[in-house]
Amino acid sequence: MHEELSPLGLTVVTVSLELSDPEASRPFIEAASPTHPSLLDPRHQLDALFGVVNIPNVVWIDEDGVIVRPAEPGWPPGDDYPDWLRSYLDDRDATIAAKAAEVEATDPELAARMRGGQDRNAYPDAIRDWARNGAASEFAMTPDQVVAASTGRSPDESAGAAHFELANHLWTAGDRDAAIPHFNQAHRLQPDNWTYKRQAWSLVGNENAGGGELGRFNQGPLPGAEDDWPFDGNFAAESAATPAGDYYPKTL
Amino acid sequence: MITDSLDVSPEAFAAGTGWDIKPEGACKGEVCVPLPDGYSAAHAADRLGMAMVTDEASGLTAFGPESLGGRALTTAQAPEVILPDLDGNEFHLSSLRGKKVVVVAWAPY
Repeated sequence: MHEELSPLGLTVVTVSLELSDPEASRPFIEAASPTHPSLLDPRHQLDALFGVVNIPNVVWIDEDGVIVRPAEPGWPPGDDYPDWLRSYLDDRDATIAAKAAEVEATDPELAARMRGGQDRNAYPDAIRDWARNGAASEFAMTPDQVVAASTGRSPDESAGAAHFELANHLWTAGDRDAAIPHFNQAHRLQPDNWTYKRQAWSLVGNENAGGGELGRFNQGPLPGAEDDWPFDGNFAAESAATPAGDYYPKTL
Repeated sequence: MITDSLDVSPEAFAAGTGWDIKPEGACKGEVCVPLPDGYSAAHAADRLGMAMVTDEASGLTAFGPESLGGRALTTAQAPEVILPDLDGNEFHLSSLRGKKVVVVAWAPY
């Protein structure tokens, strides 16, 4: 997308929300070999500064530094994943597709709900439209619309972010046991923030898996070791309890 | 913003939160929030709806982001963000003024 639209004056900037070693992000960045800036955000500053709450989340900023679409689920076209991840995702997608077909046949109402949420295929065209038409694009918001459409934030959610920053700081300093309660508080106070959850779950899941290419995709307890899992939730349980339309809310 | 002392200079408060301390109050973009008691980090945090959470064991306090108006953004003016690349080089998002920018947050998990 960057190469397609840079002649129109648009640049993509990718930002990895991962608090551990930069090496965790390196294989993905090298597989994509980006020609655009590719940055690391170990403290999840984009959550606090822009209202990012999940990945992928996208923010549009115009030539004058004015946000014209606040953080929302979005997918640039074309995935450049490492081969091992591509294979994993293809297998997972096949499983999801089979499950979706089953639900479609047995529970059409649930199937309709699961189809909700952001339209992945339409998103790149919205970016293209803005690249060509700027402020005249139907997808470019006014400043007031941007503020109103930005992620909700209550005082409790501000406290959730503060707990996440403490957790992040303490974990990075090697004080794992002190970090865990702050992660849990962050999750309780910002229940809709999936980057806070998946970050924490993946840190411990990766430890439990002994690392490896897919270690960070373990985001729940190992079978039989549920009592050792230090968090209130885990990815399988929470994602199953979340309608697809809520996981990636529709904003286009 | 994380600190081991609540005695935070206005400059450090601005660097840590994105809110500049000016004569008219705490300001970001076109928004200024008056500080009737004058500047202190705790007063500014209170006026901006920033939670302050202290970790008793370490003595560290984290200031959450502002919650004015119940939204993550109080202004559409993009905040400055300075982040490293894989080689540790710092990149300023503001260096892209003059271009349209699509920021994509992702993660290896």
